[in-house]
Amino acid sequence: MTSFQSTLGDEPGIAEELAKGQREISIAEFFEKNKHMLGFDSGARGLVTAVKEAVDNALDATEEAGIQPDIYVEIAEAGDYYRLVIEDNGPGITKEQVPKVFGKLLYGSRFHAREQSRGQQGIGISAAVLYSQLTSGKPAKVTSRTQGSEDAEYFELVINTDQNEPEIRTEKTTSWDRPHGTRIELEMEANMRARQQLHDYILHTAVVNPHARIELREPGLDEPMKFERATDQLPKQTKEIRPHPHGVELGTLLKMLSATESYSVSGFLQEEFTRVGAKTSDKIHDAFRDRHFGREMTWRTPGATEADDLAAVVEDAVANKGKEATAAFADELVDIVVGKDRIAHGELVTIVENVAETVGEETDTSFGETVRENVVEALWPALTDDREGDVYAIVDDVTTTQKDDAGKLSMARSIATQFAETTGPADRATRDDVAEFVAWAADRTKEREDETYGETAQENIADAVWSRMRTVSDEVPKVREVADDRDVARDLLDAMRETDILAPPTDCLSPISADLVEAGLKKEFDADFYAAATRDAEVHGGDPFIVEAGIAYGGELKSEGKIDLLRFANRVPLVYQQGACTITHVVKDIGWRNYGLDQPGGSGMPNGPAVLMVHVASTNVPFTSESKDALADVPAIQDEVELAIREAARELKSYLSKRRSLQKRRKKQDVLGRILPQMATKLSEVTGRPEPNIDGALGRIMNNLTVERAVEDGEVTLTVKNYSNTNESPDITDIVSAEPAGLDGEATVVDLDGEWFVKWNPEVSSGETATLTYSVAQDASFDINVDGVETEKLTVNV
Amino acid sequence: MASERKISDERARERLIDLAAEFYDQFDAGEIPHMTLPTRTKSNIKYDEDSNVWVYGDRTSTRSANSVRGARKLLKASYTIEFLARQLEEDRSSTLRELYYISESWDNEEAHFSDQDESNKLIEDLEIVSEVKREDFHMRPEESGAKLMGPLKIREQTNRGDREIHCQLDVGQGGYQIPNNPDTIEFLEHDVEFVMCVETGGMRDRLVENGFDDDYNALVVHLGGQPARATRRITKRLHDELDLPVVVFTDGDPWSYRIFGSVAYGSIKSAHLSEYLATPEAKFVGIQPQDIVDYDLPTDPLADSDINALQSELEDPRFMSDYWTEQIELQLDIGKKAEQQALASRGLDFVTDEYLPTRLDEMGII
Repeated sequence: MTSFQSTLGDEPGIAEELAKGQREISIAEFFEKNKHMLGFDSGARGLVTAVKEAVDNALDATEEAGIQPDIYVEIAEAGDYYRLVIEDNGPGITKEQVPKVFGKLLYGSRFHAREQSRGQQGIGISAAVLYSQLTSGKPAKVTSRTQGSEDAEYFELVINTDQNEPEIRTEKTTSWDRPHGTRIELEMEANMRARQQLHDYILHTAVVNPHARIELREPGLDEPMKFERATDQLPKQTKEIRPHPHGVELGTLLKMLSATESYSVSGFLQEEFTRVGAKTSDKIHDAFRDRHFGREMTWRTPGATEADDLAAVVEDAVANKGKEATAAFADELVDIVVGKDRIAHGELVTIVENVAETVGEETDTSFGETVRENVVEALWPALTDDREGDVYAIVDDVTTTQKDDAGKLSMARSIATQFAETTGPADRATRDDVAEFVAWAADRTKEREDETYGETAQENIADAVWSRMRTVSDEVPKVREVADDRDVARDLLDAMRETDILAPPTDCLSPISADLVEAGLKKEFDADFYAAATRDAEVHGGDPFIVEAGIAYGGELKSEGKIDLLRFANRVPLVYQQGACTITHVVKDIGWRNYGLDQPGGSGMPNGPAVLMVHVASTNVPFTSESKDALADVPAIQDEVELAIREAARELKSYLSKRRSLQKRRKKQDVLGRILPQMATKLSEVTGRPEPNIDGALGRIMNNLTVERAVEDGEVTLTVKNYSNTNESPDITDIVSAEPAGLDGEATVVDLDGEWFVKWNPEVSSGETATLTYSVAQDASFDINVDGVETEKLTVNV
Repeated sequence: MASERKISDERARERLIDLAAEFYDQFDAGEIPHMTLPTRTKSNIKYDEDSNVWVYGDRTSTRSANSVRGARKLLKASYTIEFLARQLEEDRSSTLRELYYISESWDNEEAHFSDQDESNKLIEDLEIVSEVKREDFHMRPEESGAKLMGPLKIREQTNRGDREIHCQLDVGQGGYQIPNNPDTIEFLEHDVEFVMCVETGGMRDRLVENGFDDDYNALVVHLGGQPARATRRITKRLHDELDLPVVVFTDGDPWSYRIFGSVAYGSIKSAHLSEYLATPEAKFVGIQPQDIVDYDLPTDPLADSDINALQSELEDPRFMSDYWTEQIELQLDIGKKAEQQALASRGLDFVTDEYLPTRLDEMGII
């Protein structure tokens, strides 16, 4: 640079020279150089990302068309490259759209829509196309058939990276066995090192999309991985919503302002935003006025004792009107003014106008514009005579008693002076102005009285002053003016953000629902226990979101090491950057020992045979980067994630504690089941009596339900004793080889090919006994089955 | 005599089998087998006005098969009952320690005792619920009973026939060894004026060497620390049957006061047998804290455990008398304790020539 500087004067053409090297960069070119931002940073990862983008698109397309997704993914080795094929049964893409969808970055239907969807920017699939063409040089092969059309359209296309436009290499119609759908074939430089992530992605997709059928074939699999549908229920169709006033940025607002057809800000707000009606619009207007115009300071009015003096001032100001009319005008005006506690300049103007009208009419005198202005001009200084005293009262009110009176006086004087000198006759100031006045006053007070007013003290005074100021009723600028002036637009945006507005509607979201989260987990994980929770919608930055959590525990899940955490955003599995994700952060901060999971050190990822899944659905998911691998740490989302996990974990806890108590019970039963018979044997030896029946004692000890059968001369007696402290209603089925008779209607008998099913469902209260008797032929055999009672709590002795 | 013994054996056996039958009936009625015992803690002993001894109060605890622990206890009880019943049938006896080892031979591992403390406690439990003394189960402790020396002639039934023994003339310097079940002894004749129970072996030997038993017609009983049941029982019988005054001579520390307490009032562990073992009329000779002061005896300072023991004695119902409160508070005050042998600092004969005659005279024994 220094060399340029030294010669700048000599070569006037240097800027032009430099400009020759500057040119527009196409978006495609940009991403060609920044592949990692989109998740294509390595061959291993690129393959996973390409599958992910294509599958996400396929799911979005099918769901939108109300079709149950049927998705086929195939990865095959093709010479030096890998060939990737993804097929769906979606509605297909029209001939005109195909090249743009696949051959143009940032082309999509989603970007402008406020509604939950997997893809958003329209980058994903075209980035995959771009990656494939960059690494293999081969075009993407796309086949698409729309419903009802005879043939499918076939394209071979590449992206012109200079122009970000598709370049069609081949285009023809072809036949395809699917009645509708889309197929894309890409060849790319890749490897299968990320096989695990690929499998995870497909598996996790199957978990959160229980309505989808997915098949994966890749060279490492002997058998294709197939995931069947667990439900016919398609996700609820989402509705697009208008933006929420809390969720727009300044740039967006300016764009919306220049695009709107509304003339007034009120119309603009109500038309373009969700949750804004007339009332909310008024609130935003007031806040907008406060920012744009500032407020007017109100001052304490003099008491009624000074009414005569004030009336004199008014009378003096009214020149050349009848004496009686003038007196009536002055009396009426002063009466109203001293009746008020505080008064602002704008208010005085209005009051003068009103009184001029009414008294003018009554006395048949015209108090014209000039008279009114003169009156205001004369009366206002009289009303605001004691500004210093007024401000002193405010300062004194909010300042601690430790502060010196001299300091407070100095503060009051300085603030009053600022109003008098800088705000013009109306005493208008914005909140920022007031803060400046107070800061300036604090400086002077420090200087003169050596009393320090810190930030908090200043803030309190400024707040107190601001609260005594009054919103003006000036007309707010029109949309056109706001659109043209960044600062005004900024005032409007601040006003929108500051106003309390109802949370956005949630029909733009489609949570999986607790039931289907559980169904999805059940489908893919063979566990003993499942729980799920779906939270109510919340809002962050104007975008509604819903968090869901699910837990699977035990069974075939691996019991060594950390639990598996499955993260999802808008039904898309997040398989990379787990450590950077807010979901992971929340999971690590939860004390899992409280929920019955092992957690070394009391924080971090818990251990145990469990799968934890968390799904965040939002119209705008805050990712940490464009590759959409990890959710950003947004406090509102973190809170909800935590609550959802805790909700599901509470169920896990009660399951685990119940399981533990049953385990303990089983152990106790095992030991007692060994010891007590031995004791009974010993006792019978000592006493010389036959062995006693210990089932009653055992049942009583274990608080069990005992079922016993006694058969005497073909009379069968089933006895159910409930030793527990809760009521039980066991389902008892006694399968008898001969026809039972004499049942008194309490039980039902079903004849099945020579076997009789005696079904009995007694209600047995705690401590009670129920019996059932029937008669059968002597040589009958029995087989009893008891359901509806946990096995650990059941002693069957038949 | 022999047939009497058979009858008592038969009664003991019946009681044991009744106990087993009780468990049996509980099982049969669908109840949880259990046995109820008085709670054996300091807070559950009370003074019995009629017998002047300390017995268990009304609080009870239950051993029940409701828990794994309780079930194991009752299983062991059943096995032990069988063993004891057979032992009585065969007219054999065994020691508490042997019982612990015998359990190791039982076919059922669950029934094995985990330590001797457990088997000792179980025998005590059985004693209480069956109201039969362990001596009548033919269970004896490992340690032998203490020794007597004095002008007393007795007859003892031994396994090898009856023996008549004079506890001064027929015995050596060590004296007559009390058998484990002193109820097998019959008192024949005596010249005993009073019974002198002595805590330490050294002091007993000193009294015998100095001819104290001879000079004062005293029956010297060696307690040997916390006295065995047999020692306490014979002391009680000497008092009750021969109408002899009993005095207890121990060290001057809190543990020795407890030795006196168990002779006089009964111990917490065997309060169910207090009426059978305790001699409420027994008197404490010393060493008293007052003696430490009066004779300016050589002392050791009280350890923390001594202070705790003294304080706990102040709350022990057995020591709640003016005499003991005064003495214990004095000891806490001076913070010292002394052994019996401390008297030797004034010469070997001081105890027999000076200390004991003075104390016994004060107490109205001689």
